[in-house]
Amino acid sequence: MSAPARRPAGQDATRPNALVVCEAVSRDYRTGTARVAAVREVSCAVGPATRIALTGRSGSGKSTLLHLMAGLDTPTAGTISWPGLGDVPRGRPGLVGFIFQGPSLLPELTAAQNIALPRLFGGHSQGHAAISAAEALRRLGIEDLSDALPDQLSSGQAQRVAIARALATRPRLILADEPTGRLDAATGTQVIAALLDVADEIDAGLVVATHDPAVAVQLGESWQMNDGRLAISTQRRDQPKERP
Amino acid sequence: MTSSWLSGLLRRRGARLLLNAIGIAVAVALLGSLGSFLVASRSTMTDRAARTVAVDWQVQPQAGGSPSALLEATRTAAGTLAALPVGFAHSTGLAVTSTGDGATSTQTTGPAAVLGLPADYRTVFPDAIRGLEGAATGVLVAQQTAANLHARPGDSVTIGRAGLPPAVVRVDGIVALPQADSLFQRVGAPIGAQPSAPPDNVLLLPDQQWHAVFDPLAGSGADAPTVQIHAARSHQLPPDPAAAYTAATASAHNLEARTAGAGIVGDNLAAALDRARADAAYAQVLFLFLGAPGAVLAALLTAMVTATGSGRRRREFALLRARGMGSARLVGLAAIEAGVVGSIGTLAGLAVVAVITRMAFGTAGIGVTAVILSAAGGLLIALATVLVPAYRDLRQVSVAAGRMAVAPTTAPRWTRWGLDLVLLAGAGVIFWLTGRNGYQLVLAPEGVPGIAVSYWAFAGPALLWIGAGLFAWRLVDLALGRGRKLVGRGLRPVAGNLADTASAMMSRRRHSLAGATVVLGLALAFAASTATFNSTYRAQAEVDAQLTNGADVTVAEPPGAPVGPSASAQFAGPGVRSVEPLQHRFAYVGADLQDLYGVNPATITNATALRDQYFQGGTARQLLDRLTAAPDSVLVSAETVADFQLQPGDLVNLRLRDARTGALITVPFHYAGVVSEFPTAPKDSFLVANASYIAAHTGSDAVATFLVDTGGQNVNAVSGRIRQQVAGSATVTDITSTRAVIGSSLTAVDLAGLTRIELGFALALAAAAAGLVLSLGLTERRRGFAIATAVGASGGQLRRLIASEAAMLAVGGLLAGATLGWVLSEMLVAVLTGVFDPPPSALSVPWGYLVGAGALSLASLALATGLTAGNARRSSIALLREL
Repeated sequence: MSAPARRPAGQDATRPNALVVCEAVSRDYRTGTARVAAVREVSCAVGPATRIALTGRSGSGKSTLLHLMAGLDTPTAGTISWPGLGDVPRGRPGLVGFIFQGPSLLPELTAAQNIALPRLFGGHSQGHAAISAAEALRRLGIEDLSDALPDQLSSGQAQRVAIARALATRPRLILADEPTGRLDAATGTQVIAALLDVADEIDAGLVVATHDPAVAVQLGESWQMNDGRLAISTQRRDQPKERP
Repeated sequence: MTSSWLSGLLRRRGARLLLNAIGIAVAVALLGSLGSFLVASRSTMTDRAARTVAVDWQVQPQAGGSPSALLEATRTAAGTLAALPVGFAHSTGLAVTSTGDGATSTQTTGPAAVLGLPADYRTVFPDAIRGLEGAATGVLVAQQTAANLHARPGDSVTIGRAGLPPAVVRVDGIVALPQADSLFQRVGAPIGAQPSAPPDNVLLLPDQQWHAVFDPLAGSGADAPTVQIHAARSHQLPPDPAAAYTAATASAHNLEARTAGAGIVGDNLAAALDRARADAAYAQVLFLFLGAPGAVLAALLTAMVTATGSGRRRREFALLRARGMGSARLVGLAAIEAGVVGSIGTLAGLAVVAVITRMAFGTAGIGVTAVILSAAGGLLIALATVLVPAYRDLRQVSVAAGRMAVAPTTAPRWTRWGLDLVLLAGAGVIFWLTGRNGYQLVLAPEGVPGIAVSYWAFAGPALLWIGAGLFAWRLVDLALGRGRKLVGRGLRPVAGNLADTASAMMSRRRHSLAGATVVLGLALAFAASTATFNSTYRAQAEVDAQLTNGADVTVAEPPGAPVGPSASAQFAGPGVRSVEPLQHRFAYVGADLQDLYGVNPATITNATALRDQYFQGGTARQLLDRLTAAPDSVLVSAETVADFQLQPGDLVNLRLRDARTGALITVPFHYAGVVSEFPTAPKDSFLVANASYIAAHTGSDAVATFLVDTGGQNVNAVSGRIRQQVAGSATVTDITSTRAVIGSSLTAVDLAGLTRIELGFALALAAAAAGLVLSLGLTERRRGFAIATAVGASGGQLRRLIASEAAMLAVGGLLAGATLGWVLSEMLVAVLTGVFDPPPSALSVPWGYLVGAGALSLASLALATGLTAGNARRSSIALLREL
């Protein structure tokens, strides 16, 4: 496989408007007495409006890298910065939208209440958060699910609600961790189409971790993770594939 | 499979299993400790009851029987340690002639009882006679008789004899007869007959002298002298008072049968054991009323701990079922979990019992029955709280429903039936019905071996517990369901802009939150009702002790001692707040001789507490003010008011002994109110008047008793100092020793141990209910908090969400606990009125303990909130990897 990337992948890391820049980032975990290196010396950068497919086999470190980029996890070595976002995303909620692979809705809250959460955590009022949630639901075309509880939703519906939640704050950077991993092909295609539409609409950078070549091909750039290391393919989406 | 399941449980769910085991251990410890209390109480009750008896048997020879044969039969009866003949004779009256100031005066009394005692009587029966003045043997005059006759050691007493010339004896000493009631009992009186009052005048003679005086009267009819046999019996009795009573009664019956009716046994020992077995029955009732709710609460807490993990268990079982495991196998796995948890909890609980038993009761043994019952209770709780919910889930929940993250919020059936309201109404009805019988919980009919305990009365508080718990559940469910928006508004100070989100989350989990609130409320109610009952009980015991002793320390002067009120000053010193002189005279109301107490109404309350319930016709202060305003006022007993048809302001002429002449004089008083209890006064009729008025009319301000107030502190030091000071010239008693003497076997010894156990467990349960239930419920939702963190929640925001639940739990739990605690306290004190002496007029609320219990619960909630919020934040990264 490709050699470790010493130079930041993707955009030139020196560009001041890069949304996230990873420099020689590593992340190790302890499982019992063993030490597992999930991410090894990864350097990369994501610019505004870029579309990146992050591929690789299960356990290759895709999710961990996304968590690190979102600021949900901290590296054991190397540095991460968000020059285009102004600060650490955890300190400025709403700038990064994250979509998980599995069910990630709070089971006690309705779809609309789940979608309103990021706005509320950003310090907005209940009324303002509700308006944003309604707008996100409309954008995804799932207004009818507004009052449904997560237990009442299908996997596809739940994932659309999760996307709506990630986009409700109009984030500058969207990170999606295998968003279609648990969906059938048709639903997966619909979900990716919706995600790309909204990302285009709000002009956000988008990184999607996926196993699915059909999904990867819809994105402009492809990064491959292998055993914690990142390899870059600079495939460009000159003529985007028509989306359903 | 089984071993891998078990090892998985221990590795992955070790903390939860441990908490379950702790819950069971608490229940077992509470049950076992209370069982030990019961066993220890019963054994000490027999011992204490037997020790209070001065003369165990008084065997009365019957007409035609031979006293000497009866004496021999009594001496040889199994268990008899000693038997002595005691002569009983009637005198037409006693008289003392004294010469003073050149004048001769003669004091006389009405009919008197004269007893002939063998030389070793006071050795065999040391508690029957208490020396006050003069010699311990010889001719002894009872205290009241000495006061009537103005007799002192060395005086000559003339004994009137019907149809014969009087006999003259010389007084050697003055004594008190502490158990005069039983000494002069009518032996063989029918069961339920009114007890006869002891004679007003009593003279004790050495038996030879008695025979010399009264043998000439033998065969003189109904008033002929008789001989009674007094026996000291072995007190090696079964520890259970009921069994001891049966054994003692059987021995007495055996003697009566062996002597073929030649004698009837006045069985003072059995009478004391009869009272003790009633106390034992009350101990059993207390065990039920105070202990059972605590054990049930501990079980409920265990169930709550299990229930907070039920969602996870449902999902795990659903997964196993989806992969083909049968229900029977799953139930088997749950049974193994219950067995492990039950065994660990039971063993730990029994270990705690052993420690508590040693510390509280000073014994190492727990008792086999207590061990078996507590262990069975622990295993039962494990089955009920672990196995039954698992079985119910398997029976009722589909695989799909089992995998739901949040349990449905459908209202349980009982809410539609109004079961809570029905139970509350039932509690009220039963309380009213038991109240109509005067809350007679224990019926121990005299002479009947069986004892009846009305367990029916227990149903009132039991229904109240259950009904109030369900009603609180309904209210919380209602508040979080239909009243969700209102709750959201109420949470704004805590949760800020997340208030509506917090209330929505709570609304979806309202069943488990309502359950947690109920458990906390019940735990606080348990703490509140137990503490209030104990506090009220202690207060009443203190009232009783102070009534008996008079004050913290009491100095009783010997009869006739010319000690004036100015002697109060000599008792002042370190630790003494005030000293109050109290006169004591005997006064004739018509032909009835009563005790008269002379007080300074303006200052008497400086040294002793006078409660309003001691008086009728006004408060204590109002009646004392009447005495101050009108010096000739007198407070009399209700019985005297009824006997003499008195109206307020009526003239009451009392005949008092004039100290100057020794003659009885008539002193006019006016009836000002009714007194039923007064410090140092007897239980029957007595009078209270102005000391200065009595002194002015009788020519003597002699004080019988000095009441010394120490403010409840340094009682032993002050009494010790005064005892040294008076050097035997007066009798000094203190409230500490009085408590031990007057308390029934139930009160004086064992309730203190029960109180410590109860209050300690109540605090532990309240704190555990608050913190444990909240933190476990929140721990189950760590994944949700991780998601919240991933979508932007800060640590502070997580804390606000968690604090909202804690606030809801605190407000609901405290309100429910305070309300139910107050109602239960009122009910317990009313239903258990039989253990109070005197019955309380109001609850004595231990505010310090209650505030402490509330604060401990709040602190526990705050700790759980802080720890959970911190843990949620720390564990979110690991949990995110699972999303």
